[in-house]
Amino acid sequence: MASGNLVRGLAGVALLAGALTGQRFAGFFAQELIAEAAILGIFTLSLDFLATCGLVSLGHAGLLGVGAYLFAGLTVLSGLPPAFALAAAIAGGALAAFVVGLFAIRAQGAFFIMVTLALAEMFYAFVFRNRAFNGADGMGGIPRLDLSRIGVDLNDPQAFSLAAICVCAAVWLLLELVCASPFGRALDAIRQNPHRVAALGGRVYLYRLAAFTSSGALAALAGALKVQHTNFLSPDLVSWFVSGDVLIATVIGGLGTLVGGPLGAAILVFLKDALSSNVGHWYLFLGAVFAFVALAMPRGVVGFLLAFFARRSPPAGNTGDAP
Amino acid sequence: MIALETRALVKSFGAIAVTQSVSLAFEAGSRTALIGPNGAGKTTYFNLLAGNLRPDSGAVLLEGRDVTKLDATSRARIGVSRSFQRNNLFPELTVRENLALACALRAGKTTRFWRPMRGLKDVAGEAAEVAAQVGLTDVLDTPARAMSYGSQRQLEVALALALKPRVLLLDEPTSGMSPQETALMRGLIGRLPRALTIVIIEHDMDIVLDFADHIVVLDYGKVLDQGAPAAIRASQVVRERYLGEGGARL
Ligand SMILES: Nc1ncnc2c1ncn2[C@@H]1O[C@H](COP(=O)(O)OP(=O)(O)OP(=O)(O)O)[C@@H](O)[C@H]1O
Ligand SMILES: [Mg+2]
Repeated sequence: MASGNLVRGLAGVALLAGALTGQRFAGFFAQELIAEAAILGIFTLSLDFLATCGLVSLGHAGLLGVGAYLFAGLTVLSGLPPAFALAAAIAGGALAAFVVGLFAIRAQGAFFIMVTLALAEMFYAFVFRNRAFNGADGMGGIPRLDLSRIGVDLNDPQAFSLAAICVCAAVWLLLELVCASPFGRALDAIRQNPHRVAALGGRVYLYRLAAFTSSGALAALAGALKVQHTNFLSPDLVSWFVSGDVLIATVIGGLGTLVGGPLGAAILVFLKDALSSNVGHWYLFLGAVFAFVALAMPRGVVGFLLAFFARRSPPAGNTGDAP
Repeated sequence: MIALETRALVKSFGAIAVTQSVSLAFEAGSRTALIGPNGAGKTTYFNLLAGNLRPDSGAVLLEGRDVTKLDATSRARIGVSRSFQRNNLFPELTVRENLALACALRAGKTTRFWRPMRGLKDVAGEAAEVAAQVGLTDVLDTPARAMSYGSQRQLEVALALALKPRVLLLDEPTSGMSPQETALMRGLIGRLPRALTIVIIEHDMDIVLDFADHIVVLDYGKVLDQGAPAAIRASQVVRERYLGEGGARL
């Protein structure tokens, strides 16, 4: 456990160092990829935090979409300041997840997966036809946060990618702290054995609702950053593919490891880019690569590292106790 | 004072009547053994007591208060704690973490999402105390899934104890244990505080006769007989119906 935390911490520091170094020297196009990966990284953290209490969502793009549409709507359509829109987007994501969670969490497992998927698809169908947001064509001209007061111009790609990395790192750190707290340990216990938590007097439903609400806030944060990054909003953001991508990135990196998500996001974004510009039928290749990773490392890259180091250094006090 | 009571409790699964109008009262501080053949409905009765199942009719009273409508979580919070017939642990957590979690849940500290769990010194102290009580001090840092079956069984009981209950329900704590492990468990439950009201389901008649001051015999969902150990031992109907083949052990 303790050595596991060390491995995950080191992986996080290494990833952050790599991202900052890359961001320092990268050209324009690579900056875009770094920002994309960092934002997807925030999104994976939102999904992985939910997985801490044993819930998997197949419609997480819906919550990303709530943040994206709220931010775009409040800035472009209502002319409100981006800082306010960002706060409102996060609050809106939390509220949406809370309301959905109220009934979706009651029944768990497959039902939760189906409900989240169905609701995201309904949201997609809704924005696809919605006039105010230009329906399927999407909407451009979405502004970025104005940080000129502290001397940062987020319209500069390098400044934006740095900001995205910082937000992703901050979210990671925050979730690490929450997961180590009594609340986080209760969520982990619920993942392992919800029935025993209930028998010990823990209100499993409320813990899960709190986790899903927080997850919604973080997904919406990712959505609000994503539309600032591309300056563009379209229903594609809410599509099934986006929910699939975030799940793939999290699983590749290591579900339930937190740091694995952003790592998987980086792998996914850069691999997609490398393959799509050099290989025909690149999606097929991508699928093959992921199938290989899933077979070689069923618990993702970070899960693989954790198992590797756990085998090399068994924790003290865990030897020869069985009579 | 009566700690726990059931009145005309009825539960059926489809056509099978598993609990048939069971009325029992458990005195505070009493130690009752619930015995009966496999499938008699002992675990089902526990599920009704602890709130894991809702009865079709009848009532459950905790210290005179009707708790029939409360779920298992609520009953755990007001002092009814149970161990399970099949181990029901947190497999990836160490003994220390398993118990600390239970203590933190009882103390209502698991809503804190700042500061690490490790910082809860009082909870850590309580967890260590419970571990000592059941003899798990040596394996505090062993993950539950890596322990021997007997130690897992001890942890199963320890989790129930960690809630500091007023009523403790133990469902076959020695099932599947080796003779040595059984002896250990026997010592453990023998040392439990006298103030605790305990109901135990147990097949080992040595333990039952040694531990219980009251025995209830359940058969096909009905109370066949109940009384002091000596009376049950002598009971004609129990000998005929339940102890027929196993009666040699008495
Ligand atoms: N959830 C359920 N659904 C349907 N039938 C059940 C359920 N739980 C128990 N039963 C049935 O009820 C009867 C009593 O089961 P129970 O587990 O209460 O017996 P028991 O006395 O604890 O037996 P054992 O000594 O084997 O543990 C059995 O016939 C069992 O198959
Ligand atoms: Mg049973």
